[in-house]
Amino acid sequence: MSKGQAGRVGQAGRVGFTIALAWLSLDVRAADNARQIVDEAQKRTDVTSQRYDGLLQVFDAKGKVSDKRWTMERLGAHGQSKAVLRFTVPAEVKGVALLVVNHPDRASDQWMWTPAIERDRRIALQDRSTRFFGTDFSFEDLEERDVNQYEYVLAGDDTIDGAACWKIQSTPRESKSSQYTKSTVWIRKDNYAFARIENYVKDQAVRRLNYSDIQNVQGIWTARQLEMTDLRRGSRTRLTLDKLEYNVPMKEEDFTLQAIRRQ
Amino acid sequence: MTRASALFVSFVAFVSSVPCANAQAVTQRGFFEGSALLFPQQAPNDPTQVVGDLLAREEIFFKPAPWVQFAGGVDLRANSHDQVEDRWRFDVDDRGVQRPRVSLRRLTATFTHGPFTVDAGKQFIRWGKADIINPTDRFAPRDFINVVDTEFLAVTGVRAVAQHGDETFEAVWVPRFTPSRVPLLDQRWTVVPTEAAGVPIVDAGAALPAGSQTGLRWGHVGAGFEYSLSFFNGFNTLPNIGLVGQVGQVGQVGPPSVIALQRTYPAIRTYGGDAAVPTKWFTIKGEAAYFTSPAADADLSRQSGGAATADEYVLYVLQIERQTGEWVIVAGYAGEAITAHRSALSFAPDRGMTRSVVARASYTIDPVRSLAFETAVRQNGHGVYGKIEYSQTSGRHWRGTVTGVGIGGHSDDFLGQYHRNSHVAVALRYSF
Repeated sequence: MSKGQAGRVGQAGRVGFTIALAWLSLDVRAADNARQIVDEAQKRTDVTSQRYDGLLQVFDAKGKVSDKRWTMERLGAHGQSKAVLRFTVPAEVKGVALLVVNHPDRASDQWMWTPAIERDRRIALQDRSTRFFGTDFSFEDLEERDVNQYEYVLAGDDTIDGAACWKIQSTPRESKSSQYTKSTVWIRKDNYAFARIENYVKDQAVRRLNYSDIQNVQGIWTARQLEMTDLRRGSRTRLTLDKLEYNVPMKEEDFTLQAIRRQ
Repeated sequence: MTRASALFVSFVAFVSSVPCANAQAVTQRGFFEGSALLFPQQAPNDPTQVVGDLLAREEIFFKPAPWVQFAGGVDLRANSHDQVEDRWRFDVDDRGVQRPRVSLRRLTATFTHGPFTVDAGKQFIRWGKADIINPTDRFAPRDFINVVDTEFLAVTGVRAVAQHGDETFEAVWVPRFTPSRVPLLDQRWTVVPTEAAGVPIVDAGAALPAGSQTGLRWGHVGAGFEYSLSFFNGFNTLPNIGLVGQVGQVGQVGPPSVIALQRTYPAIRTYGGDAAVPTKWFTIKGEAAYFTSPAADADLSRQSGGAATADEYVLYVLQIERQTGEWVIVAGYAGEAITAHRSALSFAPDRGMTRSVVARASYTIDPVRSLAFETAVRQNGHGVYGKIEYSQTSGRHWRGTVTGVGIGGHSDDFLGQYHRNSHVAVALRYSF
């Protein structure tokens, strides 16, 4: 990582790196520009790195629940970060890992390591809309979405869980390959934290991500619980963040294809 | 106790003694699995129709410092059909005809420093990108006791990797050869020609090569695509089969009373490449390798037991891959072009599966249930293989799997010769 990156590596302040988002609760400046709001939200989450243990609870349409756990480590700046997700539970998927290498000007690169067959496999762009390991997150939902990759329009004010929010419509720029035609984003006015993201394919809402249990962690307002609902299937996945830490010492060489082979 | 087994015991003892404060540095995974195979038909050389199998596996990973990691794994096996050795010995080299009862699955030390990684010890090394057949996957011997349900065996050696930006350079040195495990001669996955029916076939052992194996691989990861080139110099893990003796009845002229077969492993060099290129609709993957056999090289011939009589040929695979909704679909063609035919009798499932259209698909029904399909059809229609598998998990630990395998075709075809081996398998696994 370059010195420039190291000095400004940012974390969850983008439209939708859906796994770990948090925003500072500082004085709210009047913002009448949607892009400024999102940009401010991103700035308030500048960190060098992040780590957490995640509990994934997948609820199918009939309410049946299955649990998974992963650890997530992330290093780098907005739009240029790298992340490794590694499953720890259930036992039969222990060691399965996903490497996400984000780029500021195009879609991320993703590889999955499957220890049972000792092989890594690149996740192709056209496959990013599929579900990630039986959860309601798609592969695309696991990549960082930098503020510069979208166009924004302020769509008004709204209230989510009693909190006043800006409602912003975002559309991916041409360089950004996305399964979603557009997204509606709710950002809280009190702390610039994300409250909800609703993703559309054409005019149909297909996935909704709700943020809750927002806490101040090392000065960063962070949603400790994220719930993704697949509106077409009727299933949902709840991600609860445990042992969350920011600015943890990490090395660049732990975010490579060679590194995800290690357990 | 061998040096390797002593090393493993020391490793386990060391890991066990790590204080609780370092608990996060130690991880493990393992399972118990029981399975049963039911064959509706008897085979001429094997009347057994039900086979039971047990496997317990434990793997421990220990990372005492950011720059080093140790990995160790042990298998414990039992089988109702003599596919597992009776002896209680700790096997470290996977060179036996039967599966060992207790064996070292892996024992590796991994050192990292910046962009450099070195893995030393018994390990799995996989090359190639295709999913159907991997012509470049030369350091990956397999257990073929059940030809259509194989398992990789580890090799003992050193693998060094340097990563620079989008380029990866890899060098492998394997000083001790690990052969693939072939079907047992008295069981159904060894098909006896009609002419030899009723004649006992005995194993005359294997002439294992003494030389080392080396490989180099360069890989490039581009924006959305990737490819690699590789070179391998060593021995084929799949054997040539040599007739070393036909014992006839004393003083009589007629068919032999015993046929003795010996396995030899030809020296080969391969020049290979693989690539994966995504398109708008699917990912195209290709992989090919040119196999040469230095028959004229007397030294190599001696090292390989004097059996450098392998064909020279190109194996190639072209496949497309797509994930859509709950489906993962892979389909392609595996081909072979022989450039020099040396007419050695060999056991070569990789070549036997070529000149075939192969397809795989899996469907995730819900978070706990899935279906998988697999088929291979020889282009001449002489061999057909199909598999359907249903799998379901229960809780965090249990998985049950039911598999149906159908094989049909002519006796002169690699796939078709197993037409009596269609079967149903049931497996129950407890992972921990």
